[in-house]
Amino acid sequence: MGVNKEATPYFRLSDVLQYTFGKMERRPTYKYWLLILGLPVHLIVCLFYLSKRGDNTYSSIYEEVRASLTASGYKEASMLDFKEQLLRKHSFFNKKVNELEIDRQVKELAEEQFTKTLTKKTNQVADQKGIQQVTYSTYFQSLLGKPLFLLASFIPGIFMYLLILLFSNPYIKFIVERLIMSIFVIAGVAVLVFTILYLSPFDPAANILGEAATKEQIASFNQLHGLDLSYFSQLWNALIGIATFDLGASYAGNEDVAASIANKFPITLTIAVLSLLMAIVIAIPVGIISATRSNSFLDYSFMFIALIGLSIPNFWQGLLFILNFSIKLQWLPATYSPQNWLSIIMPVVVLGTALTASVARMTRSSMLEIINEDYIITAKAKGLNRLQVLWKHAIGNAMIPIITVIGLLFGGMLGGAAVTEKVFNISGIGSYIVDKQFIPDIPAIMGGVIYIAITISLVNVLIDILYAFFDPRIRSKMKQS
Amino acid sequence: MLTKKYALKLSREYTQANFTWIISLILTSVLLLNSFNFEKGELKGSVFSIFTAYAMFTIFQMILTLMVKRDLLTIGEIRSSTRKLGYVQLFSIVTGNVFTVAFAFNLIKKQKTPEYMFAVYMLLTQVFIIAISSLNLFKSYVADTFLAAMIILLGVMIFQVVTLILTAKYVEEESAPAWMMIVAIFLLFTALTGNIFALLLGYSLILKIRSHDQSRILKWNTIWEKITRNSTAILGLFFIILMFSVSICSAFTFDYDMAVENDYGAILQKPSLAYPFGTDNFGRDLFSRIIFGARISLLVGFASTAIPVVIGGFLGALAGYYSQRTDNIIMRLLDVLYAVPGILLAIAIIAAFGANTTNLILALSVGSIPTYARTMRANVMMVSNYEFVDSARALGSSDFSIIFRQIVPNSLAPMIVKATLTIGGAVIATSSLSFLGLGVEPHIPEWGNILKIGSTYLESHSYLAIIPGLAIILLVLSFNFLGDGLRDAFDPRMD
Repeated sequence: MGVNKEATPYFRLSDVLQYTFGKMERRPTYKYWLLILGLPVHLIVCLFYLSKRGDNTYSSIYEEVRASLTASGYKEASMLDFKEQLLRKHSFFNKKVNELEIDRQVKELAEEQFTKTLTKKTNQVADQKGIQQVTYSTYFQSLLGKPLFLLASFIPGIFMYLLILLFSNPYIKFIVERLIMSIFVIAGVAVLVFTILYLSPFDPAANILGEAATKEQIASFNQLHGLDLSYFSQLWNALIGIATFDLGASYAGNEDVAASIANKFPITLTIAVLSLLMAIVIAIPVGIISATRSNSFLDYSFMFIALIGLSIPNFWQGLLFILNFSIKLQWLPATYSPQNWLSIIMPVVVLGTALTASVARMTRSSMLEIINEDYIITAKAKGLNRLQVLWKHAIGNAMIPIITVIGLLFGGMLGGAAVTEKVFNISGIGSYIVDKQFIPDIPAIMGGVIYIAITISLVNVLIDILYAFFDPRIRSKMKQS
Repeated sequence: MLTKKYALKLSREYTQANFTWIISLILTSVLLLNSFNFEKGELKGSVFSIFTAYAMFTIFQMILTLMVKRDLLTIGEIRSSTRKLGYVQLFSIVTGNVFTVAFAFNLIKKQKTPEYMFAVYMLLTQVFIIAISSLNLFKSYVADTFLAAMIILLGVMIFQVVTLILTAKYVEEESAPAWMMIVAIFLLFTALTGNIFALLLGYSLILKIRSHDQSRILKWNTIWEKITRNSTAILGLFFIILMFSVSICSAFTFDYDMAVENDYGAILQKPSLAYPFGTDNFGRDLFSRIIFGARISLLVGFASTAIPVVIGGFLGALAGYYSQRTDNIIMRLLDVLYAVPGILLAIAIIAAFGANTTNLILALSVGSIPTYARTMRANVMMVSNYEFVDSARALGSSDFSIIFRQIVPNSLAPMIVKATLTIGGAVIATSSLSFLGLGVEPHIPEWGNILKIGSTYLESHSYLAIIPGLAIILLVLSFNFLGDGLRDAFDPRMD
C-alpha cells in the first residue's frame, strides 16, 4: 500500500493522514499519544460515534453466527476432538492422566477454537454482504478522509495532526523516536548517578568543614546546598539543574559547577576528537591492508602491534613517552600547556592508541568477511580489477560496522580521558571529576559524569541517524515497518 | 610442488618455528640493547652473558626452522633426524626462553595429543615457578615455609617429568590406558599448587579412560587442538596459569614482609641478585611486590568479570527468551547503564562508597553488565529458534529449564570468549584506578599502586615505573591472545 502511495504523484494530505493513522493505531503507545494530543477532537467524534453505533449491522451478524454455531454443537465436537488428542499424547509419553487437568485444558482449547471460528465466519458473512466491522478507529479513519472534517478539526487537533505527519515520513519518525529514547536514557543516567551519590555514606559537610565543625555549621552547610531536603526533591532539583545548565556551586571552593565544566570540556573534547582522527587515519588503511593480505607476515605484524596497543595501560604508555621523549630526548614537553601545540601530541597519541588498535582489528575482520561474500566474487567474475572491487564494492560495506564501533569507543575514550589527563597534567573534565571525588563534591561529579554521558548519547544518535541514510538495509527495513 | 607448498602451510611445526625465531630474535636484540650502558659507554657483563646464551639458541632456532622447511619441501614431512634435534633445543630452558622450549617439545613429538601439550606446559609452569621462587635464595632471609614448599614443588616437578614421559608414550588420540587413573588422580592433587595445566591433564586423562562416548572425546580434542595450534593463545594461557600459580605458591615461598615492610637501609637499590628488580623509596623489594601484586590483579580481574557475566548473562537470557515486553524493559534499563562509560561509572561509585578492593570490584562489575547482557541476549535469540528447543518444549519442559538447561549451555561460547577478552580490560582498569588513587588501598602491593610510586621516580629510577607496567601489559596481552585463540577455536566466523 505504501509503495502505491509513493507511486502516485498527486496524493492528497487526507490520504496520507488516513493511511498513517491506520498504521499508528496498531501500536499501543502511539494510540494513546493520538488520543491525548487530539483530545478535543476525539471527545466530539466519540459522541457522534456512540450515537451512530446503534444501527450497527456487524454485531447482529455476529450474534446470528454465534447462535447457529452453538446450535450445531460445534463446541462439543471440538471438545471431543481435543480430548482424544490429549489422551493420545499422554499415552505416547507414558504420562499419568489427570482427568481434571485434562478437562480444564480441553475446555480452554475448545473455547479458543470457538472464538476463532466465530470471528472467521462472521467476517466471511459480513464480507459477502459488503459490511465492514465498525470500530472507533475505523470510524475516525473514515472521517479523516473527508476534507470538511479536516478543516473543522484542524485547529483543535493540530498536535495530533503534527504527530501523524511526523510519523508519515520514516526518516523523521526514526530521528524523533531515537531522540526521545536518548532523552529517556539521559534522564535515567541522571537518576542513576544521583542515586549512587545520594547513597554515599560520606558526609561532605564534615569533610569540608573539618572535624571541629559545630552542629550548626554542618546544618547551615547542608541547608545551603540543599542536602537537608528529601531524596525526591533533591533529585528533582538535580534534574532541573542539569536541564538548565545550573548546577549550583561546588562544595569546596564555591565555584559555579556548570561554568567550570564548560571551561574544562573543550580541551577534553579536542584531545578526544584528535585521537579519533588519528585512529581513523592510521587504523583503517592498516586494517584494509591486513585484510587484503591476510595471514601474511605484514598482517601478523600489524595485528600483533594492534594487540599490544590494546593491552598497554594508558598511564604507563604516557609515562614511557614522557621518559623517552621529554626526559631523555627532550623533543616534546612533558606537561600540556594551551600555548604550545607540541604539547598536545603525546596526550593525543596516548589516548588514541587503544582506539586505533581496536578500529584496525575491527576493520580487518569486517573486510575479511566482506571479501569472502558472494557478491565480491560476482564483481571479480564481471572482470573488475582488484582495486575497483576493493574500492567500489568492499570498503563501503565494510565501513558500516566500523562506524558503530567508532561511536561506541568514542564514549569509552571520553570516559578514559581521566587517566591520560592526570598523567599529562591537563585540566580537562576527567581530571576535574577525579579531583572532586575525594570530598565527594556531589554536584561536580554528577555534572561531569552526566554531561559526558549526554555527549556520548548525542554522538551515538548522530551515528544512528547517519546509518539510516547510508545503510540501504536499514533504510528498507525502516520503510517496511 | 603444489602439495609441498601446502605442506609448509599445513605444518604446525613450521608456523611455530617461524614465530619462535622471530620472537626469540626480538628478545635477543632487547637484551643486546640493554647490555650496553650508552651514557658511560661500558658493557654490563651479566646482561651480555645472558644475551650470548639467547643469541646461541636463537641461531640454533633459525637453523632448525630452515631444516624443517627443507624437509617439508623435499619429502613433505619432517624427518625424524630433524625431530631429534629438538632435544638439543630443550636445553634453552636454562635461559628461560619459553618460546624455544615450547617449540622444541612440539618438534620432538610427531603425534601431539592434547594431553602431551598439557603435560609439556604443566612441566614448564612448574619449572618457572621453581625458578622464580628460588630467586629468594639470594636474599638475606627467606620465609619460614620456604624450604618445605620448595621440596614439595621439586617433588611435584619430578612427578610431572615422569607423567610427561608416560603421557608421550602411552596416551593415544582416542584413549588412555586404564592404569593411568592413578596418575590422573595424583595430578588433580598437584593442581592445588595452582597449576591448572595439571588439572586439565588430569581431567583429560580421566575423560579418555572412563568415557566411551567418542564424540565427546573428539570434541574435547578438536577444541584443544585448535587452541594449542595457536602459539600465541597457548602461551597466553601459559602465562596466565603461571601468574595464577605464582600467586598461590608465593604465599609459601615469598615473604610478605619483604613487599610491605619499610627497610630504610636499602632505599632505591639498583637491580641485583638480592633485589632482582631493585627496591622502591621505602626499601621494599620490587620483585616481591610485583609477585604479590599478581594475585590482586587476577582476583579483581576474575571477580569483576565473573559477576557481570552471571548477572548480565541471566538478564540477557531472560530478555532474549521472553516476550517483546520483557525484552524491552530489561534492555532499556540496561541502556541507561550502557550510556555511562565503564570507568566513569566506576569513578562515581568509588567516589560515593570509598576506595577499596571490594568497592572496586563492584564498581567495575556494574559497568560491564550491559555488554554481557547484550551478547547473551543475541545468542539466546539465535539458539531459541533451534529444533532442540522446540523438542524440549514439546516434551513439556518448563520455561526455566528450557532456558538454563538447553539454551544457556549452548550459547556460552561467545560469553567465554568475551569474558576472556574483557578480563584484560578489567586488569587495566584496576591498575588505572589505583594509579589515580581510586582503586586498591595504597598500602597493598598492587601493580597500579607500585606504578604510582614509580612515576614519581621516573627521571632517576625509571625501572620502578617500567617493570610493573611490563607486568600489566604481559598479563593483559596474555588474556587478549587467549581470547583471540578461544574465539578462533569456538567459531572462526564469530567476532
